[in-house]
Amino acid sequence: MSASNIRKLAFLVLFLVLAGFASAEFKGLRYFKEKVVVSEAFTEKRMLSDWLPNIKGTWGDTPVYFYDSGKPGATVLIYGGAHPYEPAGTIAVYVIMENLQLSNGRFILIPRADMSASTEGILGNAYPQYLHIPTSWGQQQYRIGDRETALIDQWPDPFTYVHYPSKQNLAYQDLRNFNRTFPGRADGTLTERMSFAFMELIRNEKVDLVIDFHEASLMYPVVDTYVTHQRAEDIAMMAAMYCQLEMPMKCEVSPKGLRGLTHREIGDYSDALCVLIETAEPFIDRVVGRVTEQLMIDGKDEFLERASEKGLLYTSYDINDAPTIDHRVARLLTASLELIKMYDQFYPDKAVEFWYPRFTDVKTNGLGSYLHDPSAADPSRVFEN
Amino acid sequence: MTLQTTYTLIAMVAVFVLCSWKLKSPEISMVITAIVGALVAGFGFPVRLLVEGTLTYLDLALLFITASLFMNFYSEIGATNALIRGMVKTFYDKKWLMLFLLAFVMLVPGAFTGAGSVSILVVGGLVATVLEFMGFPPERRAAFVFITAILSAAAPPINLWAMLMAAGANMPYVGFNKILFIPVILTTIFAVFFFGRGTKARPKSEVLANLPPAAKGMNWLRLSLPFVLLLLLIFMAQYQPFVIPVIGLPLTFMLCALLVILLDPEHRSLKRWWTVATNTIETVFPLVATLTSVGVLVNIMALTGVRGLIAINFVTLPIVWIYVTALLFCPLAQGSLSYGSAVILGVPIIFRFNSVGVNVTVVAAALSLMFPLGDCLPPSRIVGRLSIEKVGYKGSYMQFLKAVLVPWLFLAALALCMLIFTKTFVPLTK
Repeated sequence: MSASNIRKLAFLVLFLVLAGFASAEFKGLRYFKEKVVVSEAFTEKRMLSDWLPNIKGTWGDTPVYFYDSGKPGATVLIYGGAHPYEPAGTIAVYVIMENLQLSNGRFILIPRADMSASTEGILGNAYPQYLHIPTSWGQQQYRIGDRETALIDQWPDPFTYVHYPSKQNLAYQDLRNFNRTFPGRADGTLTERMSFAFMELIRNEKVDLVIDFHEASLMYPVVDTYVTHQRAEDIAMMAAMYCQLEMPMKCEVSPKGLRGLTHREIGDYSDALCVLIETAEPFIDRVVGRVTEQLMIDGKDEFLERASEKGLLYTSYDINDAPTIDHRVARLLTASLELIKMYDQFYPDKAVEFWYPRFTDVKTNGLGSYLHDPSAADPSRVFEN
Repeated sequence: MTLQTTYTLIAMVAVFVLCSWKLKSPEISMVITAIVGALVAGFGFPVRLLVEGTLTYLDLALLFITASLFMNFYSEIGATNALIRGMVKTFYDKKWLMLFLLAFVMLVPGAFTGAGSVSILVVGGLVATVLEFMGFPPERRAAFVFITAILSAAAPPINLWAMLMAAGANMPYVGFNKILFIPVILTTIFAVFFFGRGTKARPKSEVLANLPPAAKGMNWLRLSLPFVLLLLLIFMAQYQPFVIPVIGLPLTFMLCALLVILLDPEHRSLKRWWTVATNTIETVFPLVATLTSVGVLVNIMALTGVRGLIAINFVTLPIVWIYVTALLFCPLAQGSLSYGSAVILGVPIIFRFNSVGVNVTVVAAALSLMFPLGDCLPPSRIVGRLSIEKVGYKGSYMQFLKAVLVPWLFLAALALCMLIFTKTFVPLTK
């Protein structure tokens, strides 16, 4: 064998060894299960494929948790994880699932809207795979994941994405973006089918209010903001005013010319009111320094502070009081809470009576105090996602 | 953190320069630079992120491989020669018409796929051959192919940089057609006259005599059908997207390559096709290696904060300094981050301009004309390298860059004017 071939073979073997180690980590994330201890208000777990059977057995299928008081009231759908690299959304839904007390009405909760996207990292961004929330009983571990549906589940990308049904041209990778594929297609790509299944769930379960949890870059104008369909504008505006008692909150109406987004299409293609909530996440800004789990947790970044000093951010940022994961989850909780309360005021005949922790509770007691120990809980109340 | 990241950046630059000098391999140098960067920044040896980085540009690598397979199969059956013979016979006497036709042929594939590399791989070789007959020196041939390729990528309807910036800024990808079309056409006209000046074509009879005879059984149907299929699949994906499934460009090219085999008038053996395929892989391999190692480097730059350090230093400049340095930062970012440049630098710049009330569609369009200028710059030099390889240019890379310079500056000046005088260009976004 020539020296050249020996060198090539050595490189190949070296790469295979490294790939073997890396594969173990990839596989670990793909099959890692998050645990949640549901509150006593929980009534039923179903799967998204119940509303569109052709996603059954795919990584697009995801658990849907029902909390039904059995008494009249509105049906509220809250979901996180449309973009898993914005983990506060998923964790906020888990906090609601673990602590919800309900007297009237019905909640439908989905912590992992795009399950597939939560099982793969973002190429080219070097993200950590997990984040850990400290609690009194140990650490609760969650996946971080990608912005888009995993390539292993939906590939290849087109050279440009043409949105259905508007035919608007969007960036190619947005065909895997759960928040760009609404209202979806029953026979489309996996992400389009997931979106369509959500629409079917909303229409068939007669959902009244949809709340979509997100996190946003601080250099993005729509940060710490409600983005609302025009039919929910009054409710969102009023809720934003009430939020000011605990935290600043803005409100914007969904642009009619930008298609595929939940707050546009759910409002247009169903009777439900839809509001998306963005909270500030330093981690996903393009200009941040070291990309570590620590940054995801504490939100402290010197580069972002420089951007703040130059007036380049759309929300206040102080490195000594940065938006920690506790803070971001807490914001989503109060923002959603005020929305539902305002809905009650606008539609008193469909009022929902409920409780879950709000901003001040989480800031005072810590996020970990609202997450329960799965090993100490009644096994029938422990679920895996 | 700033200090540590600065040390890391300095260490990475030093290691890259040293390795490039000693090893003469930019690919291995980039991987070593990434490993050293991770070590200096205190991340140890991050196996997962190094391997993950190799996959960053996998789709682009597949595109290069499959487009090359298609065109090499097409050449193997003698179709390229027949096509060149046909073009020479019909248009050779009308120099400028011929040059504009060649520029148009280069613009189309990239305009509809968003990738200038597709233009080079599909028609670059053919165009270069005709340019050679027309008396273009080698570096000017490579420069013509390069400039028209980056213009094709910037041309509407698909401009990936603008699309990625629009996606990052939550803007619809609308209003870009005119504002991209006009500068692209102006630069094309300028480039054709600039490159075509003073060239002396070889006599038509001599060219035809030296061209290989048309292959037996070759006809216009065999010549055109593979391209008809290619255009059909691309147009269907763009204009009838809900009728056909998403097959992506690599499979599109593979289907076209398969059709070439079926249309072969001489019915070559499978063994022969295997030889052509392996030779193609050998040819494309260095480029794939570049993409792979750039992906590794980009991943580690993100991990260590070096990417953020560069981005924050640029976007916190006063607006006037952004005007002054945009033509430095944007092309250099493209050279190291490829399309990632639009997301890393482009999106913050859009927000920066948005904060002072500037029309962001014009800004995005201007930036999307600046980024491709970096496609000939290190460390990746993807489109530059493809151009010289496809043309068969053997001279120095600096000579090639000199040949590119004037049309490059013309496009740069246009883009900079758009960035500075945004209000003037707003009507083109309507």
